[in-house]
Amino acid sequence: MNTNLQITDIIAAIASETESLWISEQLLLEGKALSLAFVKVPRFVSKRQITEGPFKNWNLDQVVRLAILTKLDEKQVDLLFETAEMQEAVALTKSLPYLANPSNFLLRATDAVRSNMGPVFDAIAFDNTYPRDYFSEAAWNQLVLKCIFNDKAIHQIIGLEERANAELAMTLSDFAHERWSAGRRVPSQVWRLIPRFMNETLQSDIEKLVQSENPSDVRAASLVKQEVQIPGSTQGMWQELEKAEPIYTA
Amino acid sequence: MCQEHKPIGNPSHFEGTEQEKTTAHAVDGSFAQYTQGMKFFDPHVHMTSRTTDDYQALADAGVVALIEPAFWLGQPRTGLASFKDYFASLVGWERFRSSQFGIKHYCTIGLNSREANHEALAEQVMEILPLFLQKEGVVGVGEIGFDDQTAAEEKYYRAQLELAKEMNLPVQVHTPHRDKKKGTERSMAIALEHGIKPNMVIIDHNNEETVKSVLDQGFYAAFTIYPFTKMGNERMVEIVKQYGPERIMVNSAADWGISDPLAIPKTAALMKIKEVPDEHIRLVTYQNALDAFAQSGQIQESDFINGLEIDQTQKFNGNTVLRGGQAPRVNKDSLIIR
Repeated sequence: MNTNLQITDIIAAIASETESLWISEQLLLEGKALSLAFVKVPRFVSKRQITEGPFKNWNLDQVVRLAILTKLDEKQVDLLFETAEMQEAVALTKSLPYLANPSNFLLRATDAVRSNMGPVFDAIAFDNTYPRDYFSEAAWNQLVLKCIFNDKAIHQIIGLEERANAELAMTLSDFAHERWSAGRRVPSQVWRLIPRFMNETLQSDIEKLVQSENPSDVRAASLVKQEVQIPGSTQGMWQELEKAEPIYTA
Repeated sequence: MCQEHKPIGNPSHFEGTEQEKTTAHAVDGSFAQYTQGMKFFDPHVHMTSRTTDDYQALADAGVVALIEPAFWLGQPRTGLASFKDYFASLVGWERFRSSQFGIKHYCTIGLNSREANHEALAEQVMEILPLFLQKEGVVGVGEIGFDDQTAAEEKYYRAQLELAKEMNLPVQVHTPHRDKKKGTERSMAIALEHGIKPNMVIIDHNNEETVKSVLDQGFYAAFTIYPFTKMGNERMVEIVKQYGPERIMVNSAADWGISDPLAIPKTAALMKIKEVPDEHIRLVTYQNALDAFAQSGQIQESDFINGLEIDQTQKFNGNTVLRGGQAPRVNKDSLIIR
């Protein structure tokens, strides 16, 4: 995949003449001036949303920032991370999979998971292939758990089924027990992560869900049971439960 | 405000009628009844030093936007990294924290006068300033100027004026506590010498002694309502009555010291009680600051006047920690904590 070619197409398709002119001038710069161009983007490029293609739901300014990033060396990218304001941090984080050596930026990616700024966390967690491709199991599990903990819907994470693992399934069970003791709950779709790792504990969790007064929980329990019986048979069926559910209410 | 401390600092200069005086004292704690429907813009407040209680109080009092100037943190920094992290927090975490309460947060970035005296470090800070000055929502170079009025302070004040000129950004000038009148004159003369238009310069922390010259030369005059060391708000009312509202703005400069983030709404209430026209109140507590700093091209009133615009990425996923700029409300009177 040639990222730069795709970006050039996007710019040609949706940037205004003035924007295109500014962008092409900047992309000829080098060194510090090019780093500065990354910073200046919103002063010259709008935040128009891209509605189709591989950069769907990105904004134009973010794509332009990505184009600049692909021309910077690692040291320059590091400095931009260290000095980033929130929109820059979002653009940097979304761009991680497209950089020359993505694995060199693992710490930046896990820092984004640690971020308390919602948009920065979302930039690594959702519609981003980086965690699926580069996170260790521990880092992956942390991402999923933090998502649940912060009341965010996990289906937006790329690689959810592929990266499911026994450790995560058991941690989820522990987490659910804590919530239940506190008179709270976990979002129903979370249970999609356990069918491949069933054991006695998880089995009893499902039995508990079956008794729930919440129809979503009952539905989740039946989907888990079906998936355990016939693996692969519930594909697409979790969709109705793919939503953010408030966890601070019982 | 702060009547009990009157003997220590600000003389009252209260020149209103006995009736006005009685009313002013009777409204302590319920001043909000006089500011109903007003919106405020605080162009100088150091929120990193304040708590979420303050953010909540500001939002409740009608403050819709604010500017946080970079300043010194009460003790000197010892390395470039702490400057870098501080600047990054002004455009990062603090901006986000503010958005949680529905308040639009802008900042000015600069090397403050005290730390300009540490020349080796100052040189390094100057290197990274351009990177921050060009960022979204950075509305000026500030707060810069004189403290002790040393040669090093002058050197970096001049260097930063050049940056401001180059990037076409407003300048927020701190004027010294000691030898204020001379320091203020010197700050203005140097800005003019560098070819900066006076309407691009906000001279801060004015008082009765400095205001006339600042306005006469075409600069913006900011007044800090800060107990003991700067202006009291009764004096402020008299200044607005005397000079009118043009190019005058009020700020709180609330920080880690004993200060009051509600200084602007309280001053607005006092102006209302003392029959300053509504339009004049609006100009000095909102519009003039907006006009002055919007010259950076980084402020759109539409971004905050009807509540914070929810960012596209937040809207798309629909589920940030705090649901796009909505204020997390905690009932402080509730005994039960959930």
